[in-house]
Amino acid sequence: MNERIIGKNLVKVDARAKVTGRALYPDDLYFAEMLYVKVKRAVHPHAILRKLEISRAQQLPGVVKIITAADYPELNNFGLIIKDQPVLVGIGEKMRYLGDALAIVVAESKEAAGQALAQIRVEVEELEVIDDPRRAMEEQAPLLHPDGNILCRHQLNKGELERGLAAADLIIEQEYKTNRVEQLPLQPEAGVCVYDQETGVLKLWVATQWLHDTQADIAQALGIPPERVRIIQPVIGGAFGKREDISVHIHLALAALATRRPVKLTYTREESMITQSKRHPMIIRAKSGATRDGYLTAWQVEIIGDTGAYASSGPAVVHKGLYHCTGPYNVENVRGIAYTVYTNNTYSGAMRGFGATQLAFAYESQIDILAHRLRIDPARFRYQNAYRPGSSTPNGQVLTDSVNVRETIKEAVQMSNWPGGVEL
Amino acid sequence: MKRKLAGKQGNRPLISGRDSNGYFLPESLAEAVNLLGQAGEGLKVLAGGTDLLVDLYERLIEVEGWLDLGLIPELREIKVRAEQIEIGAMVTHAQLEKSENIKKTLPVLAAAAAEIGSPQIRNRGTIGGNVVTASPAGDLLAPLIAYNAVLELVGKDGVSRVPAGDFFCGPKQTIMKRGQLLSRVLIPRPSSGTIGCWIKIGKRKALVIASISLALVVRLAKGGVIADIRACFGAVAPTPLEIKAVRRLAGGKRLEQLDFSQVGELAAAGIAPIDDLRGTAAYRRNVARELLIQALEKVQSTGGEIIADQADC
Amino acid sequence: MQIRLTVNGEERVVETTATTRLLDLLRTDLKLTGTKEGCGKGECGACTVLLNGQLVASCLLLAPQADRAEIITIEGIGSAEGLDPIQESYLEAGAVQCGFCTPGMILASKKLLEENPRPTVEEIRRGLSGNLCRCTGYHKIIAAVRLSAQKMADKGEGKDE
Repeated sequence: MNERIIGKNLVKVDARAKVTGRALYPDDLYFAEMLYVKVKRAVHPHAILRKLEISRAQQLPGVVKIITAADYPELNNFGLIIKDQPVLVGIGEKMRYLGDALAIVVAESKEAAGQALAQIRVEVEELEVIDDPRRAMEEQAPLLHPDGNILCRHQLNKGELERGLAAADLIIEQEYKTNRVEQLPLQPEAGVCVYDQETGVLKLWVATQWLHDTQADIAQALGIPPERVRIIQPVIGGAFGKREDISVHIHLALAALATRRPVKLTYTREESMITQSKRHPMIIRAKSGATRDGYLTAWQVEIIGDTGAYASSGPAVVHKGLYHCTGPYNVENVRGIAYTVYTNNTYSGAMRGFGATQLAFAYESQIDILAHRLRIDPARFRYQNAYRPGSSTPNGQVLTDSVNVRETIKEAVQMSNWPGGVEL
Repeated sequence: MKRKLAGKQGNRPLISGRDSNGYFLPESLAEAVNLLGQAGEGLKVLAGGTDLLVDLYERLIEVEGWLDLGLIPELREIKVRAEQIEIGAMVTHAQLEKSENIKKTLPVLAAAAAEIGSPQIRNRGTIGGNVVTASPAGDLLAPLIAYNAVLELVGKDGVSRVPAGDFFCGPKQTIMKRGQLLSRVLIPRPSSGTIGCWIKIGKRKALVIASISLALVVRLAKGGVIADIRACFGAVAPTPLEIKAVRRLAGGKRLEQLDFSQVGELAAAGIAPIDDLRGTAAYRRNVARELLIQALEKVQSTGGEIIADQADC
Repeated sequence: MQIRLTVNGEERVVETTATTRLLDLLRTDLKLTGTKEGCGKGECGACTVLLNGQLVASCLLLAPQADRAEIITIEGIGSAEGLDPIQESYLEAGAVQCGFCTPGMILASKKLLEENPRPTVEEIRRGLSGNLCRCTGYHKIIAAVRLSAQKMADKGEGKDE
């Protein structure tokens, strides 16, 4: 053990720069001859792009270049797990949420870029907007993506649910809904890109939580080798899951390639909220059984996670939620199914807790209702059902080390002077 | 539009001519009224800017020029006279919050000002801006109505005065005519024995638009008889709203003779709330009833002490 | 139009427009990028500066409203020789995480401690109520303000209460 460090408070390496205002976040970077980028977003959450008229915008003073899908027909889709998100929506293609990009404006100033956005004319053929995942799951619902609206199904089986239900003296079944939540890192998405014409390397100063995945995704979207993309991590400005996804990166790269000048793109807060990921709203149906003396015997869940227009981390987030369906409580008989479903909402992805958070609302509510109906103190109920060494999780992982939930409950009960002073 | 080369000193903002937006900085009210009279719809009167600039950024308004009232000294003054308190339209929320005179004479107003936005907002936002913006949730509006404030409007046709209770006609709508400016807020000096309470309910303690607010001002005559009582709510109707039925029921009685639940019911019945982001109509009816009961209990229990309360929720 | 203002003690003359925000004037024209933009609507406090000694959100001011004003930004806190006690306290209390709120927090702390050298926790919360920290490091930020008050009192700077 290093006695100079362990147990000591250390000043973070970049804290001095941060308290003096000298730390450089991506929007703080300036290069000579730098241009400013703004993105024309979808005008409808679900529609086919029929016409994109940029000539008026192109003629405005200060506008250097307007890039559309027609300029780069070879672009590939991007995405963290599934490459389902287009860099630019082309004519005849679908916009699937209000954050989809239709055109990239590059101008001498932010103001000029903003004025150009307002002059771009868009014509669309509107389709049914699916904002409810249950509608998306219906047989006759229009398809958001070619392989169907149910992006994936995950299942879980432990023990024998029917036996567990038969052993229960009380069975309750409830439905829970959680909200979409914005991570809201204080710095909105921002970045600068410089194209080095000698080496052909795109240098990007953009905050990301996945340096190498981001590099690989940008490269594959542009169809260039990863060594031609260099990500320089500036000071980040908060992330909380929201910076796992691609945001300004590929649009910046295209703007730099097209103009051969340094380019900067900073989202407004509104744009950040509309365009980038959220915590998944989930519909959770839970059926739980317990004996008269307060032991859980069976647990069944169905989870519908609204992943919005694109997959992002959705399959992993919803899957993780399923694994956490009983929380820290031991149940021998568990069955669950989770659906990750596309809708026309802003896409959902990673956020602190990564799917586990939503389930806590359901299982802790179930526990409270069971305890109340069985007239057992809820702290006692939790204590006697909590994991102990040797317990197994719904996905079969046997817990051996650091299983301290019972001790934690005990201490919490003591420290909070829990009324009734439960004997544990 | 006539461009104004502001000021006597050379370092005032100069309108360069290359700029499509004019910027006017009159140094007297007369000059301001004159400029406004000449201008079209596109000239926006700029007070603290804490609402107006957000509207600009959200492209809710078209701006051709600004009439900045920031250099007119008389609009920044608070004057306490024997009969009334005169508050210039450009007096900031921070001034109201910190003024010993306002805290002493109009504590419900001071308390409401102290809970607007944040220190940053209170340092810029003004009483005039709050009034003219006329949001149904504007925090100063219910207190002003409760204190029987009169608003002084100045236009090229002269000065007119209108009771605050008659000024608002809908969300962001007032009786003010194009070419008029709000110059001062005049409030009759409350007699001794005036007590009151301010309660604002919001989702946070700072930087929050009220889900519902209540300004209660009670004037007690000798023997504790209610000579006047004004229960004014914010965010419960298209305009800030006085529940006049409370005046009819409670006037002439003593506080301890009132059935507070019955008075609370008048509030629940008298408001016209909507469902919005900050709460449902049903929620607001329930809370209006409880707030009025709470405010009456506080006013009664403190026996004339003024209490201002930021409710937790 | 041209405006003249004093920024961190230095007089500056800037060619600007009637719709330029003070925030943009500072960040883009004067390259003082320590002042941050988090929301652009006066809700987050990342753009906080001192204008004639008052705490303001620089996103809610037009450049001409700052004509002849004296502005202090985070770059004007502390000196070449060393950090201000508030900056030191933020370092020592571990009150800096992503750092995006830090400049605004420090300016709000400075204003608070000028007016009230020995604030209670409740007064600190109120003084910083216009500044959001999305890393949610509020406890350490409050600890940093308390530490600042202590340091300033120790240095005899807090005697004017």
